[in-house]
Amino acid sequence: MNEGFRVVGRRPMPAPAPAKKAAPKGRAAMIFLILLAAGCLIARFWTPKDPAYMDLANANKAPCGEFLFGTDTMGRDIFSMIFYGGGISLTIGLVSTAISTVLAMVLGTLSGFAPNWLDRLLMRLTEVFLSIPELLLVILLQAVLGKATPWSISLVLGLTGWTGIAKVVRTEVRRLRQSGYIVASRCMGGGFFRLLFGHLAPNFFSSILFMVVMNIRSAMVAESTLSFMGLGLPLETISWGSMLSLAEKALLTGSWWIILIPGAFLALTLLSITDLAHNFQTASARGQRNL
Amino acid sequence: MTENLLEISHLTHKFPIDRRESLTALDDVSFTLRRGEIFGLVGESGSGKSTLARCVMNVYRPTAGKILFNGIETTDPRAFRKNRAYLQSARQMIFQDSNSSLDPKWQAWQVIAEPMRLQHVTPKRGSYRAEAEFQMHYVGLDPLYLDKYPPELSGGQRQRLAIARALTMEPELLVADEPIAALDVSIQAQIVNLFRHLQQEHGFTFLFIAHDLSMVEFLCDRVGVLYHGRLVELATAKELYANPLHPYTQALLSAIPVPDPRRERHRVLPEFPDTFPTDGVWTEIGPEHFVLKGENH
Repeated sequence: MNEGFRVVGRRPMPAPAPAKKAAPKGRAAMIFLILLAAGCLIARFWTPKDPAYMDLANANKAPCGEFLFGTDTMGRDIFSMIFYGGGISLTIGLVSTAISTVLAMVLGTLSGFAPNWLDRLLMRLTEVFLSIPELLLVILLQAVLGKATPWSISLVLGLTGWTGIAKVVRTEVRRLRQSGYIVASRCMGGGFFRLLFGHLAPNFFSSILFMVVMNIRSAMVAESTLSFMGLGLPLETISWGSMLSLAEKALLTGSWWIILIPGAFLALTLLSITDLAHNFQTASARGQRNL
Repeated sequence: MTENLLEISHLTHKFPIDRRESLTALDDVSFTLRRGEIFGLVGESGSGKSTLARCVMNVYRPTAGKILFNGIETTDPRAFRKNRAYLQSARQMIFQDSNSSLDPKWQAWQVIAEPMRLQHVTPKRGSYRAEAEFQMHYVGLDPLYLDKYPPELSGGQRQRLAIARALTMEPELLVADEPIAALDVSIQAQIVNLFRHLQQEHGFTFLFIAHDLSMVEFLCDRVGVLYHGRLVELATAKELYANPLHPYTQALLSAIPVPDPRRERHRVLPEFPDTFPTDGVWTEIGPEHFVLKGENH
């Protein structure tokens, strides 16, 4: 005899407690960078002084009510200069990284797709390039380009900073080029740039993201180093680097604010960018695991 | 228009291992595909089936030999360049592993629209999306999946998506490199039925590579047997399964399980050597039945 069908063993489960949304990591760094970038963008509307105006009567003043961060040896308001100069420094970081990244992606993909001999040749050339001290190369290129402007500095830093990223791109392309979708796309008529920007870049970008963000950081460091050595931007072009180039004079007069305040901003920004890059990396690793 | 869509003659492909040695993946393979037929290519792993598919699709450049597609010598770089757009749309390929043959970062409709975009084809149904929806419907995928990414789909759904991508260009030749090997049995049957249905509808010529012999028997008109890079036997499916002549073909066919436990239990499996002869002369035994005939077998 057949009995009616009965569902057994079903117990009501307690509803799962609503998961607490964890605060995204690195929020402080993100907020700092956003505020700084916004402050730099609209610097001309809200900073109290004209950063280029040399108020010689008030030169070398310690921070006070009128000059929040003091003035430098030429009487310029450091508070205003920080935000004007920050814009230039960040732009140099971003533009040079954009140049480096595009160069690295194209050259890395070329090498990744090339037959063995060309791949080897390209990679050895990259290593030769990598073995020349970057500053030396930058100084050489800058000498060729003539007087330094923010754009020429970006270009020079962009042209020298691609090697590390290119090596990673090449390794990734070597791995990806065996995938069916690359083979299929080539069979269907996909050209080099179609493959690069349509298929390869979206798939390898998470592996170079960390390096790309760190490249912004190193470009900013390189800019300040160059300017500090007097090889980068001239004094009248305000950037954090050129502000720091006054440091040695400031040391003689004991005016700490000329060194410490731009230095602190630079250090904080670099720290925030590093933190951001680190968080991107862990986030992308997590995303890949969940696939 | 030629009667034979694809003519492969004396195709040889070698992979270099190091400076002196190389591995012969394909050794003097010749056969033709007639327009509108389903040709099955069987053989064990490493017998050169995939290499052949990739040579046909111009992914590999063969070491020697000639491939004629619709009268165009695709192995000649100049002829290939001249007919590039035609060749790239008239020949399409389906891969074994649908997991890697679809870009995980592309949505389903973008995947289907890719060949049209690459060949600058204006979609017949207005937009790429509408065209993709039509094609998905055609291969039995719900339009619900239009915006899904391949990793969100099941294996069978992904393979249907790959088939839809191959069919958007209405190819004359479809090369499927073990399209069902990565699927489970019930889905394999669905996909094979779909292939059969689509082939009747479209009339494309179909090179079907597999190692599942019962599926090949069900689907294909003619079957070629590849062993260690050599074509050892070629016949119509019926003839080959009824009357296998080459020892390797016999061994391969005896490996098909019989879906009846009583018969299976009493089946006597013949003894087989570790290697099979790959030398001999290509001879016609019966109508449309060719075998690589050696002196001692």
